[in-house]
Amino acid sequence: MRHLLSLLALLVAHVARAADAPTYAKDVAPLLQAKCAKCHNDGKTRKYADLDLTTPAGILKGGESGPVIVPGKPEKSSLYEKVHKGEMPPAKKDALAAAEVETLRKWIADGAKLPAVEVALTQHDIIPIMLRHCTACHGRHKQEANLDLRTPQAMLRGGRSGPAVVPGKPAESLVVKRVSAGDMPPPKKLVEACVKPVEASELATLTKWIAAGAPVVDVRPDVATTTPDPLVTDKDRDFWAFKPPVRPAVPPSRDPKGSAHPIDAFIVAKLEAKGLALSSEADRPALMRRAYFDLTGLPPTPEEAKAFLADKSPDAYEKLLDKLLASPRYGERWGRYWLDLAGYADSEGKREQDLARPHAWRYRDYVIRSFNDDKPYDRFLKEQLAGDELADYLSAREITPQVYDNLVATGFLRLTPDATWANITGFIPDRVEVIADEIDVLGSAVLGLTMKCARCHTHKFDPIPHRDYYRLVAVFKGALDEYDWLKPMIKPGIGPESIDVAPPRLLPFVTATERRAWEVANLKLPAARREVEPQIQAVWDRGEPSPTYIYRRGDYLMPGALVGPGVPSVLTDGKTPFEVKPPWPGAKQTGRRLAFANWLTQPDHPLTARVMVNRVWKHHFGTGIVPTLANFGKAGVPPTHPELLDWLAVELARPTPPAPLPEGRGEKRAWSLKRLHKLIMTSATYKQSSAISADAKRLDPANALYSRAPLVRLDAEALYDSLAFVAGKLDDKVGGPAVPIQVRKDGLVTPTSTAKGWRRLVYVSQTRKQPATHAETFDFPQMNPNCIERRDSTVAPQALHLMNNGLVDQLASEFARRVQRAGGDDRAKQIDAAYWIALSRPPTAEEKELGRAALRDLTAAWEKQQPTSTRDTIELKALTNYCHALMNSAAFLYVD
Amino acid sequence: MTTLSLTRRALLNSVPGGISAAALALLLRAEGAPFTDLKPRKPHHPAKAKAVIHLFQNGGPSQMDLFDPKPELDKHHGKSYADKLAGEIEFVQHAGAIMRSPFKFAKHGKCGADVSDALPHFAKVVDEVTFLRGMHTTNITHEPAVYMIQSGKITPGRPTIGAWVTYGLGSENQNLPAYVVLDDPKGLPVNGVENWQAGFLPAQFQGTRFRSTGAPVLNLEPDTKRPASIVKAESAVLSKLDALHKRERPDQPILDARIASYELAARMQLAATDALDFTKEPKALQDAYGIGKEPTDSYGRRCLIARRLVERGVRFVQLFINLHIWDTHNNIAADLKTACDRTDKPTAALIRDLKDRGLLDSTLVVWGGEFGRLPIAQLPPDKDERKAGRDHNKNAFCSWMAGGGTKPGLTYGATDDLGLNAVDGRVSVRDFHATILHLLGLNHDNLFIEQHGLKEKLTGVEEAKVVKGILA
Repeated sequence: MRHLLSLLALLVAHVARAADAPTYAKDVAPLLQAKCAKCHNDGKTRKYADLDLTTPAGILKGGESGPVIVPGKPEKSSLYEKVHKGEMPPAKKDALAAAEVETLRKWIADGAKLPAVEVALTQHDIIPIMLRHCTACHGRHKQEANLDLRTPQAMLRGGRSGPAVVPGKPAESLVVKRVSAGDMPPPKKLVEACVKPVEASELATLTKWIAAGAPVVDVRPDVATTTPDPLVTDKDRDFWAFKPPVRPAVPPSRDPKGSAHPIDAFIVAKLEAKGLALSSEADRPALMRRAYFDLTGLPPTPEEAKAFLADKSPDAYEKLLDKLLASPRYGERWGRYWLDLAGYADSEGKREQDLARPHAWRYRDYVIRSFNDDKPYDRFLKEQLAGDELADYLSAREITPQVYDNLVATGFLRLTPDATWANITGFIPDRVEVIADEIDVLGSAVLGLTMKCARCHTHKFDPIPHRDYYRLVAVFKGALDEYDWLKPMIKPGIGPESIDVAPPRLLPFVTATERRAWEVANLKLPAARREVEPQIQAVWDRGEPSPTYIYRRGDYLMPGALVGPGVPSVLTDGKTPFEVKPPWPGAKQTGRRLAFANWLTQPDHPLTARVMVNRVWKHHFGTGIVPTLANFGKAGVPPTHPELLDWLAVELARPTPPAPLPEGRGEKRAWSLKRLHKLIMTSATYKQSSAISADAKRLDPANALYSRAPLVRLDAEALYDSLAFVAGKLDDKVGGPAVPIQVRKDGLVTPTSTAKGWRRLVYVSQTRKQPATHAETFDFPQMNPNCIERRDSTVAPQALHLMNNGLVDQLASEFARRVQRAGGDDRAKQIDAAYWIALSRPPTAEEKELGRAALRDLTAAWEKQQPTSTRDTIELKALTNYCHALMNSAAFLYVD
Repeated sequence: MTTLSLTRRALLNSVPGGISAAALALLLRAEGAPFTDLKPRKPHHPAKAKAVIHLFQNGGPSQMDLFDPKPELDKHHGKSYADKLAGEIEFVQHAGAIMRSPFKFAKHGKCGADVSDALPHFAKVVDEVTFLRGMHTTNITHEPAVYMIQSGKITPGRPTIGAWVTYGLGSENQNLPAYVVLDDPKGLPVNGVENWQAGFLPAQFQGTRFRSTGAPVLNLEPDTKRPASIVKAESAVLSKLDALHKRERPDQPILDARIASYELAARMQLAATDALDFTKEPKALQDAYGIGKEPTDSYGRRCLIARRLVERGVRFVQLFINLHIWDTHNNIAADLKTACDRTDKPTAALIRDLKDRGLLDSTLVVWGGEFGRLPIAQLPPDKDERKAGRDHNKNAFCSWMAGGGTKPGLTYGATDDLGLNAVDGRVSVRDFHATILHLLGLNHDNLFIEQHGLKEKLTGVEEAKVVKGILA
């Protein structure tokens, strides 16, 4: 029997091999009808993904992203790929048999022959070819031989040598002649122009189009209209994160002594349901230290600590919060969190040279300044996404600080790693990568959506069609256009000289004051001795974006449908057009990004406020209400306290009727982050102790219910800054160009010092290839392209760094001298001073005793080592070791 | 007590229970959480290879001058060909004609493998080796091509293969890092420390640099020298401070982890010092590696240390050489020979030593660069053909593997007559990665980490095939 079966199998295989390639009519059409037609055109209502697989025309047209077959290339045909991988049909029971899959493969491999449906080529088959190979020299910036090849009209018009295209006559069309002769694009200039040679298939397409009379059809870009979106349904929209937050009722407090604070009401309701209650309030020194680190990233000075602890007034804590929120240190702390999201770095990355970004610091300072000014979050976003479309800087009589800020803010859109300054890494796909990174930053940092998943195909989990990704790409096209690229900088001397004439992505529009100061100081000097001319690392809309095509599988060589600017449909009602208009009358800018920013910052946007309050919450509590900070979609973790999240989001964007605040400070401002901090930090939830009760350990082991405050290790910045601060050596200068780093031969990277000591880590040069060793050791991230959430690891190198690093040693001895100045020779006073300086509190009796014993032992050890040294020297050495141990201690590194 | 100082974030084993609060929280909240420790883990399927020694040859070793003889080059020597390569050459103005190899080829070993006379020592161990002549990649620029071969994508930020392997398998030795990098004291390769990053994998899986000359690890001695008795007294003070702090804060696992990290630092120092101290190895063996003699001393030390690390259970050892010595744009006759002279003898000794100790079966040795070179000459500005080199070629290069379940004495795949394109037995970088993982018992489709709802893998979303033909 077995033999018989194998024989049969052999026979079948033989027959299959012998058979001719499958045909559409006999093999493919029945298969598609049986397995696919149910969803891809059932003749009634169902035409998922805008795809009709029941007719040859439908198959040729393809779906939302364009064609589903690439004749001759099954592996590039989504029709085959989806079936082959088992992704389609969605129901397992409908799955195709192996032989059926093979039939499809063979049919496509054999050219996917369809009955007499002539594929009519249009200008949209030709324009992408021109963009890829020709418009670098015959386009917007340059029109060599007076020729522009961007549009069919311009091709017909031609240039100095005549029309480029003669409809119906490919042999007479210059463009065909020159390309087929191999003259164009000039082979020796390809790299200089970042252009690849024209493929034979591209030339064939071009020839065919001209032969057919160079037909031009009126295809409107696919944009949102008043007709309901066929690709995203109302059911898709019915997911919590895609619906505008509505202010929920605050749960009534059942505990008569309970706090009236709305945050507590939400938290306590959940705790009570589990049989838990809030933990008691942290002791005042702990709460104070927590507030200082949370808002400024630094501990208090002993004087500040003592003053607060002595202030017995009922509003002492609120006054403390106001003081900290008003401190310039606040912006340095919270600005840094934003810089992580934006993916800030002081170098371009990607290439070995790791070219410096000498003007990037202006964006860093802009962010810090914005946080310190409590710039409303909606305005903050608008400036970063569309600052160049907020005011007419080109016709401005003078660049004001506001206009300057607008332009610097757009640096947000050019922070990702970028090697397109070099020809060999500046080809179109390299540029597409840069744009994709920018979209990724926007998606992960601002939208809380994994937009990047829709770059190659429709999102697998969220209702984000492939189309919507490219609508978003079109929004940014006025500034980030892979076919009309502005290099980050023009850097001669590496590789062959570029023939690109476009300016670099730098603008000279610093404020009039700064410009004049620079001119006064430099213009009389010879060029070589001048300081770097002040410039802004920016992007700006240039008014003539190239068309945006969906890139099938994310591949720029496979352009699909033409799309226009738009926003993710699932975040809209699906029948409201995305309206774009020039930002001011007569503006040459498209206004696309401004329209996007206005949409994004509507007070009832489903995500903008939720995503931001979640981040602020995370930095106060260690985890977000939505733990997946960058993914509010279906594959993210749902909120632990959805009502609280929405209440906070509404409170941020649409505060309850402007009522005076308790302290009588006027109206509640919409989008005020400082107000949000204060709201959170005045809750009993925030003020809890970090001690774990037996009940909490049992019922809320992961602190998902917020039954206590988290115990948190200082992050890289807070630790570094605090070491310098405790040593009395923190240089508190604000802003300016990045502090240089020193690289030791063995690889240790240390920030350089200033006359006053060391500046905060946020101001230290942050190149991609040489991060400061301290920062890297304590989980400072690589920005690729940005960092949504740092990992807080606890690993041996951290111990080794704090124990052995020379800078830590140096700061420990400065700390010891400071202790000595405060405590004199009296060991008890020294210990007291050391605790106040490093830990913002007095030592306990036990700690005093431990300190005395430590100093005694260390002194004895040094006496044994250096019997001839003076008593003073020995005691200072012992004190330095003690201070060094304190700087290494868990009490210093962890905030209760 | 001497103290070990490592400044890179990476010297790490995870401490027992030593994971971050956030990770712990996620662990308790979500199923299928990622690995965060280095405990040994079962592979997906039984495998011979337990460890990898990756001899990374940054720069693009020339296939047609080392392992892939091309008689056609002799035939067409001097013929113009550059126009056919437009868009594939960065320095078009320096492109010369087809160039024959300045090296002589012969068949070696029982298997009869082709090796040029640039590598006389290696030629004697070819019966242990599988050559992959059909390698190809996607980019002709060093940086993206190196990102590609190390991490599977041409952009920075992704975990390297060493990080993935240690993520998947953990480590057999908890006192040493699982993934050790032996970089060249003369300088880092292209992309520097990004060559051993963990990307979005937990920091535990990042490579740790061990230095092969002087102190084994950066700053073995503290920057400020302190007598041992003082170091001891200060650590006693710190332990007491921490014990007191912890007593007041029971049930905070993060504090236990911290204390453990300080203890581990000390243990690791002893283990690292021991692993790197090869002075007790027989003199003859040291000689075989070329230790103590130029130009092989430095590379020889690293090769011998690599064996000692693998012997001690280190999972992934990656050996580097300073900035692309294989990047022979000029003067290939002399420069390629220099690169070979520095590495040939130690490489052969490593394979023989592993074999003699019975370690070759369980150790996969991988040799190769990020791309290959062109059959045409690259001329210096004065167009002097005697000083010609070769430019980059993404469409063909040759790597080799030995041990760890590969078929010994095999030449797999082929390039066209000029060595320009891989035509037979083509191996993409994804296939190459899938094959290494397979040899270690890992299925590339099942080795992933969830990242924003996406299953991130070394081999990415496109299809990767294990090169079955080279499996023993």
